[in-house]
Amino acid sequence: MTELNFSAGDEVKLRLAHREIEGRVLETGEKDIILLKLKSGYNIGIKKENILGSRIVKKYQEGMENFEMPATNKKKKNVGLIVTGGTIAAKLDSKTGGVHWLTDVGEFSKFYPEIFNIANVKKIEVPFMKASESMDSDDWKKIAKTCEKMLDDPEISGVIITHGTDFLGYTAAALSFMLRDLGKPVVLTYSQRSIDRASSDASMNLMCSAHMACSEAAEVMLVGHGSTSDDYCYAMQGSKVRKMHSSRRDAFKAINTEPIAKIWSDGKIEFLKEYRKRDDSRKVILDAEFEDKVALLKFYPGQEPEILDYYALKFKGLVIEVSGLGHLPVSETGDRNWIPRLKKHIKSGLIVCAAAQTIYGRLDPKVYSNGRELEDAGVIFLEDMLPETALVKLGWVLGHKAFKGNVREKMLQNFSGELNSKIGLEGFD
Amino acid sequence: MEEIDYSKIGLKAGLEIHQQLDTGKLFSRTPSLLRSDKPDYVVSRRLHAVAGEEGEIDSAVEHEAALDKEFIYEGYDDTISLVELDESPPQSLDQDALEETIKIALLLNCEIYPVSQIMRKTVIDGSNTSGFQRTVLIGHDGFVETSLGKVGIESVALEEDAARIISKDGKETRYRLDRLGIPLVEVATFPDLKNAEHVKETALKLGEILRAGKAKRGIGTIRQDVNISIKGHDRVEIKGFQDPKMMIKTVNLEIERQQKDLKEKKKEGGVRNALSDGITEFLRPIPGRARMYPETDLELLRIGRHDINDAKRNLPKLKSEKRNELKKFGLSEELMNLILADGEMSEEFNILMKVYDGNADLVGKMVSLWRNELTKKSGKKVEEVKQVLGERELEKILEAVKSRDLEEGEVKRVMGDVLSGIEIEEAIKIEKVDDNELEEKIRKLIKEKPGLRENAYMGLVMKEMKGKIDSKKAMELVKKVLEE
Repeated sequence: MTELNFSAGDEVKLRLAHREIEGRVLETGEKDIILLKLKSGYNIGIKKENILGSRIVKKYQEGMENFEMPATNKKKKNVGLIVTGGTIAAKLDSKTGGVHWLTDVGEFSKFYPEIFNIANVKKIEVPFMKASESMDSDDWKKIAKTCEKMLDDPEISGVIITHGTDFLGYTAAALSFMLRDLGKPVVLTYSQRSIDRASSDASMNLMCSAHMACSEAAEVMLVGHGSTSDDYCYAMQGSKVRKMHSSRRDAFKAINTEPIAKIWSDGKIEFLKEYRKRDDSRKVILDAEFEDKVALLKFYPGQEPEILDYYALKFKGLVIEVSGLGHLPVSETGDRNWIPRLKKHIKSGLIVCAAAQTIYGRLDPKVYSNGRELEDAGVIFLEDMLPETALVKLGWVLGHKAFKGNVREKMLQNFSGELNSKIGLEGFD
Repeated sequence: MEEIDYSKIGLKAGLEIHQQLDTGKLFSRTPSLLRSDKPDYVVSRRLHAVAGEEGEIDSAVEHEAALDKEFIYEGYDDTISLVELDESPPQSLDQDALEETIKIALLLNCEIYPVSQIMRKTVIDGSNTSGFQRTVLIGHDGFVETSLGKVGIESVALEEDAARIISKDGKETRYRLDRLGIPLVEVATFPDLKNAEHVKETALKLGEILRAGKAKRGIGTIRQDVNISIKGHDRVEIKGFQDPKMMIKTVNLEIERQQKDLKEKKKEGGVRNALSDGITEFLRPIPGRARMYPETDLELLRIGRHDINDAKRNLPKLKSEKRNELKKFGLSEELMNLILADGEMSEEFNILMKVYDGNADLVGKMVSLWRNELTKKSGKKVEEVKQVLGERELEKILEAVKSRDLEEGEVKRVMGDVLSGIEIEEAIKIEKVDDNELEEKIRKLIKEKPGLRENAYMGLVMKEMKGKIDSKKAMELVKKVLEE
C-alpha cells in the first residue's frame, strides 16, 4: 500500500486506478479510509488500498482566529460564565472535520452571543471540559468553588453554568447543597441540539439563563426549554429537577414541585412559586465536603438481598430505589428476605436510605406493614426526594464530620427545597 | 421565432432533476404520506444565526431575514415522529430508498461511491426544522444516451425533502411536516445539452429512468430545473417546470432574453420561475454555495460490492423496454398505454401471461381496462379494488379459464361478482342463467305465494337457483316484477 504523507486539513490530489480526485482531508475514526471534502462540499471516503499515489496541493495551516470580547455596556448587568463541557460547548472544526471543545475564552462571545447581548460577561472560567458522564464529586466541588469566587465579586449579578445534559441533574443537586446562604442566582443550562446548527436549543436556553441570572431569585436553578416549541423556558429548582427524555429540548422536568419561574427570551419572567430573594450583600458559604463512598441501587423483582453485602463492604451510604410507597421483600423466608441483611449492615454502620422508584410521588412507610418493618430495620425514608438528589445529599451529609450521629435528621432536614411536604396536582401529566 | 444557431451563441445547458421516492421516510420510520386532514398539533420554532466559518458562506442577508421570523410546524400524532420535529437524532438511512437510488445511478451508468458521508446542507428558510437538509452523494460520472449522443451525469444524490409551506404571513411562516424527510433523488447533468429540443428530450429520458422503480407519481413529485447560459451571460437557473412540453419554448425564450440582456450590457444570472406561457420571472439571485457539514449523528455510508450486485440483479425495466416486450404479444396501442401507465400493471401482466397465454388481449384487459371500469362503476378506491382483484385473484380466474371451467367471455362478469363480495370459487361456478328465464321463475314464484316481501322472494329464488345466479340481478328482477 502506498504510504500516505498528508494529514487532516491538507488539500490533496489522490491518484486512483481510473482517475484523480482532489479535496481536503478530514479527520475520521475509520482506519481503512481517507475522508475527503470535495469541491461540491460533499464528503466522500476513499479506501486507502485504492489510493495509488498522493500529492499535497496545499498544506493545512491552523488559522489564528482573533476573538474580541464585546465592549462592556454600563446599562447591562454583569454575569459570570462557567463552561464545563457537553454539547453546548462542542463545535465542529470545518477544516478538519473533527468535533472539539470550545477552547478560547473569546470563542464564547461568538458561540453564545445570546448571553453577551443581554448582559456583560465579566468573567469566563473553564474549570474543566468534560462530558457530564465523566464528572465526579471533585468536579462538583470545582464548579462550586468557581461559583463562590464569582458570586463574591460585587459587580457580578449572577452566574451561568453551561453543562452536558446527561448528569446535569446531579451537578444541580450538588450545587444546591454546596452553595449555602445564596444571595444571587446560580443558573445551569444546556443544549440538546448542537450549537453549530441554526435550530439549536442553546440559543433560547442561553437567553433565558442570562435573564434569570440577572433576576431576583437567589437559587440554584436549571434553565431550559419549557416545551418542544421555542417559546419559553422554565427555571427549575436544582434539587428537584431530572432529565426525563433522551433527546427532546424540554428534557428536564421539575419533579414533585412546580418550576420556580417561566421565562421568555425577551426578558419577561413569571414566578410560579415562592423563592429565595436576592440579597447582594449576603456572602455565599462554600460547603463542599463530600463523601464519595455512597451508592444508588435500583430494586427489581427477584433481586437478592445478598447484593447488600457488596455495598456494605465498599460503601458508607446507600440509597435504594424502592417500589411503590416504599417496599422491599420483607415477608419471604430465607435468602429472599431483605430484613436480616439490612438490620445487620445498618447495625454495623451502613446508612441505608429509600427513595421512590416511581420518581413522582412520595414514600409513605406507614401505609403497609412492609414499610413499617423496613423503617424499624433502620431504613431512612426520604419522602419525595429524587433518588439522584438523595445520592448527592447522602454524600454531602456523610462528608460533614459535624453531622456524625445526626445523619437521619440531616437527611430529612430541608436544606435546599429538596423535600416538598405539599405536592399538588401540577407537573405530572 | 427565428431559427437559433445554438453553437454560435455558445449555449451551455444542464438539468437538475429531483424525484420523490415511494418508500418510507429517509431518516425516520414514518410513512411518506402527504395529508390534507386537520393537523393534531403545532410547534413553533425560531432559527438563529450560526457562527460563520471562514470560506463557507452563510449568506448574512438571508440569516438576518430568518432571525426575526417565527416558524410554525403542523404535525400528526400517528405519522410524524420526533425526527421530523428535530427532537431526536436521525434514524439510519432507509434501505429501500438507498437501493432505489443505487439502481437509478446504475441505470445512469454512474460509478458508485463506496464510502460517502451524509451531509447537512444549511437551509434557513424554515423548511427544515433542523436548519439543514440531509443529503448524501451516491453516484458520479455517468451518462444517458440521447439522439445527440451521450449526456454526462455529474452526480446522483439522495436527499430529504423539505416541509411543505402552508402559508406565509408577515413574520410567521407555516409549514406542514408531512413532506419533510420524504426521500428525493437528485440527478444533475453536466452542461452537455445542445439545444432546446435536446433539453426536453433529456428531461423526458431522465424522467423515465427516475420513474422506472419505486417513484412517487403526481403533481410535485418530480421537480425539474434547467441551468442555462449563453456566451457572455451568467448562469440562470429556471425552476418550476410543470410540463416538459413547455421546455423548448421556455429555453428559447430565455435565450432571447439573455441575448437582449447582452445588448443592454447586462449579464446577471439568477433563479427564475417558469410560467405556463414559456415566460420566466425573476425569483432571486443565484445563492452562494450552501454551507455543507457532516451529519455527525450518523455513521459513514458504505456501499459494498454485494449491494451494487444486488441492485444490478433487480434493475427495473424502463417503460420503453416494457413497451417493446408488450408489443410482442400483439396488444393494441391503446391497451399497451393503459398497462404501461402503472408500473405494477405491466408486471402483473407478465406474471398472468405465464398462467394463461391463450389470449393476451384478455389478460391485458383484466389488469387494466376492466379493473379500471369496475373501479369507476363501484365507486370504490383504486387500492381497494387492487386488493380484492389482486394478482392472486386474477390468477385463480385465469386458471379456471385454462382448465375450461370458465369461458373467456365470463371473465369480466366474474371479476364484477368478486368485487361485489362473492367468493371467487362461487363466482366461477355461477352458470349464466338467461335473464328471461330467471324472470319467468320469479313470476312463477310470486304467483304461487303472493303477498310476501321482497326479501322473502329473494330467499326463495336464491334457494331454488342454488347460487347459479347473480343476486344483484335477481333482486332487480324481483323488484321489477313486484312493481308491475
